[in-house]
Formats: sequence, C-alpha cells, structure tokens
Amino acid sequence: MRINPIYRQESRAGARSFKLPLIILGFNSVLAVVALLYMYSMITQVRLTAEIQYSSFLGLYSFVATVEFVLLLFIIPGLTAGAISGERERQTLDLMLTTRLKASDIVFGKLVQELSTVFLLIVSSFPILGLVFIYGGVTMPDVGLLLLCYVVTAVLLGSAGLFCSAVARRSTIATVAAYSVAVILIAGTLVANYLADGLGEMASAGGGSAVCWQMYLLLWNPAATFQSVLNSQMGSGSGLAPLFPQLERIADMGMIGRYWRPVSMAVQLLLAAAFLWGAVRKTRPAGKRRR
Amino acid sequence: MVRIENLKKVFGRTVALDGLNMTVEQGALYGFIGPNGAGKTTTIKTIIGLLSPDEGRVLVGDIDVAREPGRVMARIGYVPDSFGVYDNLKVSEYMEFFASCYGLAGLKARKRGQMLLEQVGLDDKAEFYVEGLSRGMQQRLCLARALIHNPPVLIMDEPTAGLDPRTRYEFKEILKELQSQGKTILISSHILPELAEICTDIGVIDQGRMVFEGTMEEILAQINVASPLLISVSGSRQEALKLLRAHPEVETITIREEEIVVGFSGDKKDEGALLKQLVDAGVNVYGFVRERENLESVFMQITDHGDEEVVLIHED
Repeated sequence: MRINPIYRQESRAGARSFKLPLIILGFNSVLAVVALLYMYSMITQVRLTAEIQYSSFLGLYSFVATVEFVLLLFIIPGLTAGAISGERERQTLDLMLTTRLKASDIVFGKLVQELSTVFLLIVSSFPILGLVFIYGGVTMPDVGLLLLCYVVTAVLLGSAGLFCSAVARRSTIATVAAYSVAVILIAGTLVANYLADGLGEMASAGGGSAVCWQMYLLLWNPAATFQSVLNSQMGSGSGLAPLFPQLERIADMGMIGRYWRPVSMAVQLLLAAAFLWGAVRKTRPAGKRRR
Repeated sequence: MVRIENLKKVFGRTVALDGLNMTVEQGALYGFIGPNGAGKTTTIKTIIGLLSPDEGRVLVGDIDVAREPGRVMARIGYVPDSFGVYDNLKVSEYMEFFASCYGLAGLKARKRGQMLLEQVGLDDKAEFYVEGLSRGMQQRLCLARALIHNPPVLIMDEPTAGLDPRTRYEFKEILKELQSQGKTILISSHILPELAEICTDIGVIDQGRMVFEGTMEEILAQINVASPLLISVSGSRQEALKLLRAHPEVETITIREEEIVVGFSGDKKDEGALLKQLVDAGVNVYGFVRERENLESVFMQITDHGDEEVVLIHED
C-alpha cells in the first residue's frame, strides 16, 4: 500500500520535534491532575459523610471526558491551521504542486497527520479515563461512542483549520481564522439558540418555547453532540449540560431527535467534507484548475 | 521541447504577459532574460502549471500544460528562486520525500537520490540535516531534488541569486554537465555574463513580450548593437572634438575619463576613414576601438524604452 508522502514526511518530522511530546505531556498532565483532584474530593467527601455514592464515580468519567473534550477543542484548530500556509511560507507548496502530487493528496495527508496526532492524544489519555473502570458503570461501547465523538470533532475542526490554512497566506491569520470558525460553530450556534429562544418566548408571551429552526443549528455544534453523548450515558446534568438546556427538547424533534447523535455527526462530517473540498480547491494551483 | 504560443496573462490591471511566443529547442540551454517585472516568473509559473494562461497555450513536448498538467509535471524539474527546503529533514530524507512525491519508492528512489547527490557534490552530506547546509549547498540540493524523477526539461528561476562566485561557478559546471546529458534547460537569471558563457540560446522578454529570441551567435550578429567607438587621444582634445562634431555619422559624443566615447553609425570602412581624418588633422590618436559587444549591452539596448537617452556631452 502506498503511504501518502505528505503524511509520512510530516510524521517523520513530527516525531523529531519536541512539539508532539510536549503536547502529549501537557494534555495528559492536565487530565491526570483534574482526575486525581476529583477522586481526592470524592474520597474526602466519603470520609466526612461515611456515605458512598457510586454516581459520583460516574461523575469522574463525565468530568474527565469533558475536560478532555475542551482540551481537544483548544488543540485541534492549532494543529492544522498552519499546515498549508506554513508550506506556502516555507515556499515548499509550489514545489509539491509541481510534482505528481495532487492538491487533494496534500490536504488529506495533512488531515491524516492531524487525526493521528489527535488519536495519539486520546489513546494516551485512556489510562486516565480508565480510572472509572475501577468502579464500573461505564461500558466499552460507551467509551467507543465517546471516542467516535472526539474523532468527528477532530475531523470537523481539523478540516476547518485546513480550509483556513489554504485560504490565508500567513499562518498567523490562518490560526486566528481557524479558532474563529471553532468559536462560531460552538459558541455561535449556541448563542443564536439562546437569542432565538428568548425572542420566541417573548413572542409567545411566556408560553414556553417549542422546537424551532434554531434547534437544528445545534446539529453543527460538536459540543452539543458531545453533550448529547454524555446525556445518553450519564443522564442529563453531567458535563456541559448547563450550557445546553435545549438538548432536553430534542425528543420532540421527531425522527431527527430520535437519531440526534448519528444525524449530528453526519452533518458535521458533511460540513468537514465541504471544508476539505474548499481547502483542496484553494490549494490547487490556478494552472491545474479546470477551466 | 517547450513552446509558448501567444501567451497572455493579466493580473487585475497589470498585463504580465502580452502575447508571448517562445520556443526552447530540445537539448538547448536557454537563457531567459528580462528586466524586473518583465514577466519571467509569470512565464515560468505558467509553464510549470502554477498559473493558468488567460489566452494562448504552453506545450511541453506535444503536451498542452493546461489540458494535461499531470503528464507535463513528470517531464519537468523546477528550481525556484527560493530554496524550499525542510530544515528538520536530513538531506537523504529530503530526496526520498520528493522521490515519493513522484511515485518513486524503495531502493530505486534511494539509489537515484544518492546518484544525484553525488552529481551535485553532496554525497558526503547525505546524513546531515538540511538546516546545517550552506546556501550554496541548499541550492545544489534543490537542483538534485528537481532531477529526482529524471525529467527531460529543467526549469530554473534565478537559481544563482545570492550565491557567491565560487558556488555560481560550480553551479554553472553542473548545468553544462546536465546539458551534455541531453537535458533541455531553461534558466532565467540576472547575471548576464554567466548566461552568455553557458547558454546556447537566449530569449529577451520585456513588458510581457519576447523582444528577441535566437542563438547566442544570432543575438550578437543580428542586432545592431551600435557599440560606441572609444577614442583615446593625447594632448588637447579640442581638435578631435571639433572634427567629430562635424562628422555626419557621429551621433553622440561623451567624455569618459581618458576616452572620448562616440556613438558612430558608420561601418568598418567609415571607421577607417574617421581615424585617417583625425590623424591627418594632427590629433595624436593612441586608441581607436569599438567597445566590445556583450550580452549586457545587448540587453540594455533591447530593453531601452527611450526614456534614458544618451545626451551629447561636451568637454567644455
């Protein structure tokens, strides 16, 4: 099997740099500290009250998973934002485009490299997430679903970062744009929901808000999908639940509500595909575009 | 081998290429010269498919770059004016990476890489990191990289810019060797004497148009360079200047240190007659020669837009 040359070159260069080990160290250190502090607070509580609540051990899972998700949100756009603009700045992009490589090879090579880094981060964090298996309550399919949610988020934000990187001439601008897209997708859709909800409530004079168009905006939001996954495993009230009260109404959304998680993941993958298509188009040299 | 037909390219309001025609014969070492902003890099980027022409076409062999860019890329090696290297790769890894970009892998790619590194004199640096190489070495590595897929055509955009004379000399020798191997080489450069030494053909581009194209012999023979006469006289120059001013074929007279520089439109016979006139008039002439024609003077003449006219300068 022919390995994508960009992926191989990036992996080789990545393995030599201090950046990746530092990211893994920082990422797992934060997770470990958070998990151990949480466990310490649980044990202290048990000592004080002499009462063991097994639900609080499940809380460890949702807490660690949420912290990991938030860390990934911060890391992923930064991993891909400089991918293509960096090649342009180094003046190696033109060289690659004059070889037999297609723009799609370059974009997908960069994406696969980013995904492998994210996958490495997630896998390296398994021992910390695995603390919860000491007490039970979380099954392997639950962890698998969480992993899938992380991967979909990585694909979406990574693709957005690649698109910004292909459009912007400078890596700094690409990085700002990639984080802006992430904020729009996560905070933007959420704020739009709150605003629309507020306006809807005013219009119906406090008669309660029904399922409206703005709910569908949350399908684009990876944080909403993550919360929905946690809700399905832990029940509502865990993780980022206070931020997403709207998710309690998804049951009223009919078919989409019933399959909210797969539908939202599919929507996000479609959006990622659109970003990748845009990145390929922007990377492809003018002389190779079909006229 | 490379044929450009009526190429036009406009960026906004700027006409970069205005109906450019150009032919690079197989096996030629083609010097592509022109002033800054003449359209050299735009032409090169169009040949290698990084830019699309607004009109016209580019053929490499018989393949139209716009229609089959993939096939053309397999036939072209490109050396840009910047090095385009990865600092965190070793020299051998850098070669392997670009080999894999052309679909070459394994032992074949490694052998080809080693052979090319040997050719450019970097075989002993194969396990060095690229960032540790000097500027000249990085440029030679860039050349080796461009040859990794054994292309019949090599296109180089200002490859010797910023290199020291010794490295430029070595680079020139490598180019000669490549040409002897049958490669067709298109090289754009500002260092005109270098091109004059190694090139078989020259193309001069100005304001997006090809203003002269031909062999080195043709360029020097066909163009009326009108190199000035350099006349050196001892004693007073008054008599010589008086005579020169009155001569119908003298167009300009300039004093340059010890010499009188005369724009003279006459031929060899007229030159002889003028010399005789000067000597007969009692002028002590100890130097009388046409300024040697070179590529630089040709280039200056061709790309002179008439806004820098030579003026008649009198000594007193």
